[in-house]
This record gives sequence, structure tokens and C-alpha cells, in this order.
Amino acid sequence: MTDASLTSGQRETTADALADIAANPPQRALGLHRELDRVWADLPGWRGFFTSVNHGTIGLRFMATAFVFFAIGGVLAMLIRAQLATRNGAFLDNDLYNQIFTMHGSIMMFLFAIPLLEGLALWLLPKILGARDMAFPRLSALGYFCYLFGGTVIVLSLLFGVAPDGGWFMYVPLTDKTYSPGINADVWLLGVTFVEISAMAAAVEITVTILRCRAADMPLTRMPLMGWYLLGTSVMMLVGFPPLILGSILLEVQRAFDWPFFDVARGGSPMLWQHLFWLFGHPEVYIIFLPAAGALSTIIPVLSRTPILGYGALVAAVIGLVFLSFGLWVHHMFTVGIPHMALAFFSAASALVAVPTAVQVFAWIGTMWEGRVQFRLPMLYIIGFFATFVMGGLTGVMLAMVPFNWQAHDTHFVVAHLHYVLIGGFVFPMLAAVSYWMPLICGRWRVRGLGEAAFWLIFIGFHGTFFIMHLTGLLGMPRRVGVYPGNPEWEWLNLISSIFGMIQSAGFALFAFDLFMQWMFGRRSWRNPWQAPSLEWAMPMPAPSYNFASLPGPRQPDAGAMLPLARGEGLLPGAPRGWRETLVVEPGSGRPQHVAVLASNTALPVATSAAIGSFFAMMLAGLYWLAPLGILATLVVAWKWGAIMGTDRDHAPVDVAPGLQLPLHWQVRNTLGYTGVVALLVADATLYGSLLFGVGFLTVVAPNWPAPASGIATWPMLVMSGGALALMALGALAAWAAEARRATGGALWTRIGLLSSAGALLLLGGIAFGLDDPTRHARDALRGATLGFAVVHGVIALMLALRADADARSGRIGAQRRGAIPPWQLFQLFWLGTSAASMALILAQEVL
Amino acid sequence: MGWLARALAGPILWSALFVLIYALHGAGCNLGWTDHPVLFTDLHHAAMWAVWLAGLALHVVLVVILPTGTGRARRVIVAGSWIGLVASTFTLFPVIATSTCF
Repeated sequence: MTDASLTSGQRETTADALADIAANPPQRALGLHRELDRVWADLPGWRGFFTSVNHGTIGLRFMATAFVFFAIGGVLAMLIRAQLATRNGAFLDNDLYNQIFTMHGSIMMFLFAIPLLEGLALWLLPKILGARDMAFPRLSALGYFCYLFGGTVIVLSLLFGVAPDGGWFMYVPLTDKTYSPGINADVWLLGVTFVEISAMAAAVEITVTILRCRAADMPLTRMPLMGWYLLGTSVMMLVGFPPLILGSILLEVQRAFDWPFFDVARGGSPMLWQHLFWLFGHPEVYIIFLPAAGALSTIIPVLSRTPILGYGALVAAVIGLVFLSFGLWVHHMFTVGIPHMALAFFSAASALVAVPTAVQVFAWIGTMWEGRVQFRLPMLYIIGFFATFVMGGLTGVMLAMVPFNWQAHDTHFVVAHLHYVLIGGFVFPMLAAVSYWMPLICGRWRVRGLGEAAFWLIFIGFHGTFFIMHLTGLLGMPRRVGVYPGNPEWEWLNLISSIFGMIQSAGFALFAFDLFMQWMFGRRSWRNPWQAPSLEWAMPMPAPSYNFASLPGPRQPDAGAMLPLARGEGLLPGAPRGWRETLVVEPGSGRPQHVAVLASNTALPVATSAAIGSFFAMMLAGLYWLAPLGILATLVVAWKWGAIMGTDRDHAPVDVAPGLQLPLHWQVRNTLGYTGVVALLVADATLYGSLLFGVGFLTVVAPNWPAPASGIATWPMLVMSGGALALMALGALAAWAAEARRATGGALWTRIGLLSSAGALLLLGGIAFGLDDPTRHARDALRGATLGFAVVHGVIALMLALRADADARSGRIGAQRRGAIPPWQLFQLFWLGTSAASMALILAQEVL
Repeated sequence: MGWLARALAGPILWSALFVLIYALHGAGCNLGWTDHPVLFTDLHHAAMWAVWLAGLALHVVLVVILPTGTGRARRVIVAGSWIGLVASTFTLFPVIATSTCF
């Protein structure tokens, strides 16, 4: 069945659309395949591992690596259960137990859940949207290697006995240098921040791909629901991760250089860490849930043989969830002593968020009610999801009620709740998703029976393990304790949890074995085994490196168009120019705008990741004076990225379809890169906003304010600050003028911009010498952090100005070509705006 | 993209209101606004009520003027504007229901 209405995005072809984009004449499918495979295939062997930028390869690597980390985290969970099975467990000593539960949580949250959803998004998105790759292939690869290297360091720390041991949310002052003098906390702070580069890269890429790389004439209101869920997820990542990144930077700087952001005696506050962490931490769990919900919205209609009920309601629910989830974070801090009104704001928001979640659950149940449910393996996991996630959601509403929360906070009731929503709401749907898309991944069908047995072991094992924890929590068992000698009443409950935990582990092992058997020995799958209508099934199995021989348009809206697409009747057939080409569309309507030429195989991502890793390694080793070399290495490698991106001549428009010619991206202003920079600056603005929040919060809440008298209110400081701002403004004007004068090359203006930005940076350096000692008080430390923010962005703006200048002098800028000018303009303006705001803030602090 | 902006305007207004009122709450406690009587209440409550009510009024305006287009596109805009109004009403009603600084 290929009824387009079955898909979670109804594709309606209008007469106007059909009239606009005609079909290309059919060609030999095998010839097209060979032409595309030559251009899109990875290099063989180890060269391929280090140089591949293909979304399919990178996505599968993310998922496979995530499952390896899941296994490691699962082994740690079994160690925890072995320790807690008896009340005087001598299996692990306290120090080791602290490391193990910290690593279990950190691995599951940072090295399993986020990378698995990133991997699924990278692998799946171009296929369901009708594109050949993600918007930024090299960024995908960079993200993977940052994840691999960072995750390996974090896990290796266990083997060396220096794993993080302060809990997965690393509260200060426990994780301050005073109480955590070793490098354990630094492993978490630096390792997680390194891995989060991968998350930010994925967030930018997913946002831009969904908005700009869809099939021709696929408007947002008709795209697959998975697209909406992943768009919500990526935007949440853009806004949700920066507070954690900022907090990690501040804590690492406090540990390394004694800048007192969180030290009460010097005007800091441990509450600042909690706010920054949970500003990330709560959206994080919805970031984890949304892609899983997207998988449910995709799979349920297919296995119920009916269209999804309530596409519009689900889109509205996603919007509601995305926004409301940013208003809940203080529910993790109900017991810290904040006023009743604040408690009530967050309690109300925490209860309200159940509404969009319930809308989705009812839409799914309604879809199944309307249709004829097929109880195939993915559906078993979906039933498991309903049973488990709804229970977790109900305990979540219980915990949203402040008086109850005060009783249950930091007990095993919370542990039970979080596992119900995370395993129920993420793991079960992901296991359904893997089972569902595995035939497309490997081209084989699974061995019957193994998967079903795995499901029942996991389901029974899970509930046996975690349902009991509601009871142990209500009986008062706290979190993060390895022994409980004074509470024999908890012992038999913990023993039951531990036994069922072993059953659950066996289930996960059997699931992995089932996947292995399918991959290695499964029989060849028939085409579109689920008879799904969506575009990812309109290609051979396993999926080829290029996805579609020709791109889907209004005449090829669903899986039924497989043969016409393979024959080149869609848009942009083959690879006649020997380039990796994909279509770029207008974000709202999906009208085709231009053709993007994407990056091919390159070792730049792994080299860049190694350079960034060298910076983190030197920080971890305490070699702070060497760390700038790592930054320099990163800048040198990053320069190469821009150096191979432009062109020094105009290219003719490309024939995309009969009667439709589109320019190549070099001759367009609103490129994928431009949209990507906008997305990145949204994240950057959130980081800056978090810094401003820190200033406001400590000023208002922290004790030991006002700060000691400042020595910075001098004329030289004022002149240097004003001068720096003026030079930044000149740089912004120069960037605008360089674009306006690009027909004559714009070289004069790029040179002016370059010199003015360099001058501004020098003045910022001078300001650094005039600041008060940042170790004296939190206010002074925050001023240092603000200046650091300005310097970092000045370096980025300078690099972009240098790139634009190099482009101008090498002929890459012309009447139709802008080189690096547009991103330079954006960063220059951002640098100017945030620096001006910082200066105004510091002036206000001095005057008021 | 204009359509998306209309659909998100309500939730964005809620976000701004939430941040503003939470910030007002903290600032007011720090500055001792509860000690300054205003009409039948105090400056702290008056400031938060004023912002909340103005915000709700703005939400109502959005509910009325934003919807455009037809079919699914229109329904999502309507839903977005109502999400903002309901969220601001429910999550911020504590300004009239609880004590402020303790």
C-alpha cells in the first residue's frame, strides 16, 4: 500500500505544482546508480573510516557507538544492583560506588541517549525528506569524532580509577576543588563539553536540513511528522545545551584558576550551578523523548494501516512541549528553599506539560483504535512504551506537586520515575525504531522469535526492577547510597530489583544478538516490508549512499515512486558534474531555490576533532600554559575548511527538471551555510543570555554582595572600551560595504574590516590588564568571563574577516559570489551587539 | 516562514512573560518591594500583576489577529496562540495566589 495519506505527512499534489515541475525523461537506472555511487561512495577500508562524510555512514556509526556505550552503562547498572542487593553490600567500596553511579548516569545521558537520537536523525532525515545528505556533511563527521574521542576518555577514566564521582549532575560545592581535588570532576567537565560539540553540530545541522533540504514543494505543513519532532528537538538543543556548556566552563575555570563563580564566601552561589545545569537538564529529557515520539508517530500509522489521527494536533503538541519544557527546570530544585511563588510557577508548568504529552498519547491510541493493529515486533515495543511511559508520566505529575516532592526528593521514587520515562519514553520507542528500519539499514529480514523473546525479557525485567523502586523510595531509601545497614525493610525489595535487573540485562543482550543475527545471517528482505508510504522506502535496500537517483518532487511524493525515481524522472538526476548535489528549498513552502554542492570525502573532520581534543587534553592534564597551542592548532585546521569551500568563477545554472534551472550555491546569498550560522548564533545568544542570567542571579540572590570597590572606572579603560566598540562597528560597516562593492572585488573593505577587528581585539587585550583580580569576588570573575566571551567571538570574527579578505584577493568574490562575507557580517554584528551589552552592564554596575 | 512565526508567537510571548515575571519576582524580593504599599497591595504584587495582565491582554490580541490561511496551516496557528494564552494563564496565576518572598 502506498497511500500517501498513511504517512504522518500528507503529500497532496496540486495542479499548480504539477504544472511547475515536470518529470525528467527516464534513463537507465543502473547507469544512474553507477554514476552516483562513484561520486557518493565512501573510500574503502580505514581510509573510509577517517574520511567519510556521508550521512548514512556517520548516522550508523553514531548509533552503533551509542549502543556500545549503552552496554557499558548497562554493565555499570548491574554493578550498582549487585551492590544494593543486600544492605551491607561489600561488592564495591564507597569511592568506587560513587564513580560507578555517576558514570552510569553520565554515560546513559551523554554517551547513549543523545548520540543515539543524533545517529537516527542523521541516518533517517535526508531519506524521509527526499534529500541526498544532511546540510553539512563534514560537520556530521566532526561531531562523530568529537563524540568518539570524548566518550573514550570519559570511559577510560573508569579503568584508571579517576572517573567522575560527584553524581551525574555534579553539584557544587561537592565538585569544587576543595572537596574534589582530583581530576575526576575535570574528566566530566571537559569530557562532556567535548562531547557536546557533537550535540551542537547535530543541532545546527538537523535544524538547517529540515528547514532547507526537503523535497521540492514539500511545505512544512505537509512534511513527515518525524521532521517536526526532530525540528523541535534540534531547536531545543540549540537553546538547551548552552547553559550546560557555560556552567561547565565556569566550574572548570573555578577549579583551574579559582575564579569564584560558585563560592559563597566570595559572592558566588552553588544555586547558580543548579540553575545552569537544570536549565539544560530538564529540556534534555524532552530532547531525548521527542525523537522517540517522532518514531512512534511514524510507525504507529503504518502498523495500524491507517493515517495518523490529528497531524495538526501533534504539531501543536510538539510546539507546546518545546516551549513549556524550558519553564520546568526548577522542579529539580524544589527543596533548596526558594519562595512559594517561584515553587508555584514551576509546579504549575510541570503539571501543564502533561497536556501536550497526553495529546500525543491520545492521538496515537486513537490512530490504533481507528485502524487494524499488526502486532509485529515494533508494535510490541510500542505497547511496552504505552504501559511504561504513561506510568512514568503519572509519577511525574505526582512529583510536580511540591508537598509530595518534598517527601520524595532524592529518594528512589525519583529513580523509578526517571527510568520509567526514559526507558519507557526513549528506549522502548528506539528499539521499535531500530526493529522497524533495520531492513532498510542492512537489507535483511530478522530471525523470527529472537526479537519477541528479547522484548518480553526486557519488559518483564524492567518493571520488576523499577516498579519496586517506587516502594523503596516511599519507604525512604535515598539516592546515591551504596549501603543501608539501618534499614532491613528495604533489603528484600532491593534484592527483587536486582534479580529482575539481571533479567532485563539478558533481554538487552538478546536484542543485540538479534540485530547481529539479522545483519549477518538474515535472509534478503523484500522491498518495503512494512508497506509504508514514506519516502525512505522509495529506494533500494540496503539504502544506497546517495539515497535517491533523482530527487522526489510533487510527481513522486511517496514510496510508490521508487521506480520513477530510480530511472531519473525526479529532480536533479544522477551526478553529471561529478559533484555531490542536493536541492535547497525555501523553508516554509518548500519551493526549490538553488542546488547545493556538498563536501566529499575528507580527513578534515578527524583532524579538527584531534586538534580540539588536544586543547581539552592539555586542560585535563593541568598544562594550562600549553592549552592555547591546542586552540591555535584548531584555528589552523579550521582555516582549511573555508579554504576549500569557495570558487573563483561563475557557474551556469543547473538543469534540475524540464523548465526548471537553478543556480549553484556559490552564486546565492541565502545559502545553507548562512542559515547554519543563524542557527549557531541562536545557540551563542543563549550562552550569552545564560551569562547575563548569572550576573543578574548572583547580584540579586548571592550573599556577600555588593562586591568590594572596583578599580576599573578609569579613563584609559573607558577609552579602550569605547575604542574597541567603535572598531567593531567599523568592522561591521566594512563587512556590509564589502558585499555592496563585491562586483569590484571588495578587497579594500575586507582589508579595513580585518584591520579594525584586529585593532578591537588588541584593545580587548588591553582591557584585560585593567580588570580587577577575578579571584577576588564573583562580580570580578563574571567580568573576566564576559571579556573572555568577547575575545573568543573577536577571534572568530577576525578569522572570518581574514577568510573574506583571502576570498577577495583570490578572485572568489564577484558580482554573483560573496565568499565568506555573509557569515562574517553576522558574526561581526553579534560580536558588536554582545560587547556593547556587556559594556553597558559593567557601566551600570559601576554607576548604580 | 511567516506562517511559522505566527504559529510560534503565542509560545514566544509566554516565554518572555515567564522570564520577565520570574525576574521581577527575584528583583522585587531583593529590593524590598513588598515593603512599599501601592493601593490595596504592595509594589511587588502590583508590578507582577500589571505585567501578567498586560501579557494576557496581548495574548488575547494574538488569538484574535494571528490566524490566517486555511486548513491545517490555520489550525496550527490557532493552536499556537491558544497554547500561549493557556500557558501564561496557568503557569503564572501564582502571582495572585501565593505569597511572594517566603
